[in-house]
Amino acid sequence: MSQSSQSIRRTLDRLFVPLTVGPTVLWIAGIIVYPTLQLFWSSLFWTNPITGAKEFVGLENFTDLLLGDAGGWFGVLNPTFVNFTWHTIVYVGFSVSISFLLGLGVALLLNKDLAGRGWLRTAVIVPWILPYVMSGLMWRWMFQAQYGAINGVLMQTGLIDNKIAFLSDGTLAMMALIIADVWVFTPFIIIILLAGLQNVPEQLYDAAEVDGASRWSRFWNVTYPFLKPSILVALTIRIIFDIRALDLVWVMTQGGPGKSTEVWASWLYRTAMVFGRPGEGAALGVVLLAVTFAIVAVLYKVFGETPYAT
Amino acid sequence: MSTRTSYIDRIVDGFGLDTDNEWPSVVRERLVSYGLLGLYVFVVWFPIYYILITSIQPTAEVLSLPVNFLPARPTIDNYVDIFANRPFELYTLNSLIVASTTTLICVTLGTLTGYTFSRHDFLGNKALLLSIVGARMIPPIALIVPFFAIMSNPPLVGGLTGSLYDTKIALILTYTFFNLPFAVWIMKNYFDGVPESLDEQAQVDGCSQWEGFVKIILPVAKPGIAATAILAFIFSWNEFVFALVLTSSEQAQTLPIAVSLFIADDFVDWAHLAAGGMIAALPGILFGLFFQRYIVSGLTQGAVKE
Repeated sequence: MSQSSQSIRRTLDRLFVPLTVGPTVLWIAGIIVYPTLQLFWSSLFWTNPITGAKEFVGLENFTDLLLGDAGGWFGVLNPTFVNFTWHTIVYVGFSVSISFLLGLGVALLLNKDLAGRGWLRTAVIVPWILPYVMSGLMWRWMFQAQYGAINGVLMQTGLIDNKIAFLSDGTLAMMALIIADVWVFTPFIIIILLAGLQNVPEQLYDAAEVDGASRWSRFWNVTYPFLKPSILVALTIRIIFDIRALDLVWVMTQGGPGKSTEVWASWLYRTAMVFGRPGEGAALGVVLLAVTFAIVAVLYKVFGETPYAT
Repeated sequence: MSTRTSYIDRIVDGFGLDTDNEWPSVVRERLVSYGLLGLYVFVVWFPIYYILITSIQPTAEVLSLPVNFLPARPTIDNYVDIFANRPFELYTLNSLIVASTTTLICVTLGTLTGYTFSRHDFLGNKALLLSIVGARMIPPIALIVPFFAIMSNPPLVGGLTGSLYDTKIALILTYTFFNLPFAVWIMKNYFDGVPESLDEQAQVDGCSQWEGFVKIILPVAKPGIAATAILAFIFSWNEFVFALVLTSSEQAQTLPIAVSLFIADDFVDWAHLAAGGMIAALPGILFGLFFQRYIVSGLTQGAVKE
């Protein structure tokens, strides 16, 4: 090997760390840091929807968003904000808790030593890997008032006499959204919890069995302590994702009927992109960012390590 | 137990039982488990089945009552129509280009960076890793305003390329925002599980760091790379919100957008929408069926640091 190629080799080796980490850092700075700064900056402006002229308004977008006309909670919060926050809490709360309980049940079943377990696991994962838009539209079609499968099943089995217009009623539409969300995201819970269940040492179950522990006490005293980290990760990622996810809501109800299924994500999209009010959309984005980081921070405290969102 | 017929014996053996007197409760428990799982699988697959049969029925039959759960005259007309009447081949191509390019970038950079974070202590490595991982915590939807602004009027390359709005490049750039931090994190955790003795052996054998990485480490890392690639591909293929915000024509619109376009203001063309939906869903279904193991390992590596 020649002298010069030796020295190139040595130089390349010395530059190993910067060459492997540098491009990623630059890329991420360009694609995340810059837009994030831009987000904060945009939230300080008001854009005239007609002329497109931008005007610096300071924190006015935030005060309008959070306070608006008094009348909401405690008579100080913006009623619209309160209302859509409440929808978000209902949507996220029900979706996450139902899919968690369902996912836990299925994960416990799949963790048993059953023949065909691999195939069953494959079969339950699929909904999570489909495009959310396609799932949303699929469920919209399922809930369709005239020709949808759900009315079809309910009518043809004689459970109901008149078709239900699921997506034309606020409460039922929210319920439909939650069902679709549970359908899509339960597999994620199952995957994470199954991974956690594999950490439980088999001998502990045998020991518990010998001690004559009941099924419930076995779960509570043996399974749960080992599963706790996975549970927290699964719940947090689900909560964070549901708060910011737009796909299902946008294609199933577009926040309707009325504004009865409008959540933060659809509100943000509508404000910024449909109504062309980027400053107010950006302010809402900043609030969303803050809430997300607050949730992550709580988890970080519980965990003592960095959780990761998909 | 002479009353039992031999085939019941065989089934019971299949359940892995050794003593006669415990079989009823154990078998019952297994049957209940299978029953519940079967019910769940049925509920999971019924909507997919329903959209599949919708996609192979003529519109007239889709919109007829009572609701058909078995297609009387299956047809592939809807699939032919969407390619004939709409530029579905372009949407599919856009989806393929955007998802593959994003995957390539994320896997390449993610593998290199993940390896270095796993093996090297350097100044500020913890803070840097935390920032990369933390970057992924930023809710994507919060950034639609700046992304729209930047892509419509790129700050640095604007003079050279003009607007990136409605280009595949805009989507590829954006999708690395979701996937690159995730790729770094999965690969870092994967390399953490690869014994360092391999690296040392490579050094003893006189490999440079690069040679060792390429010849020794990369081959071992294949399952991690596969998991990263599959997830990055699926995430990019399925993405909807940014495609909605950043594209407006078939030169960049992807399949999820194409599918959503079947919704007109007060009318939905369900039969064709179902066909488009099935095409958009195909990679997910295939990946799910054949690469479930990689998806699970990637997700758990990405979600739970062991």
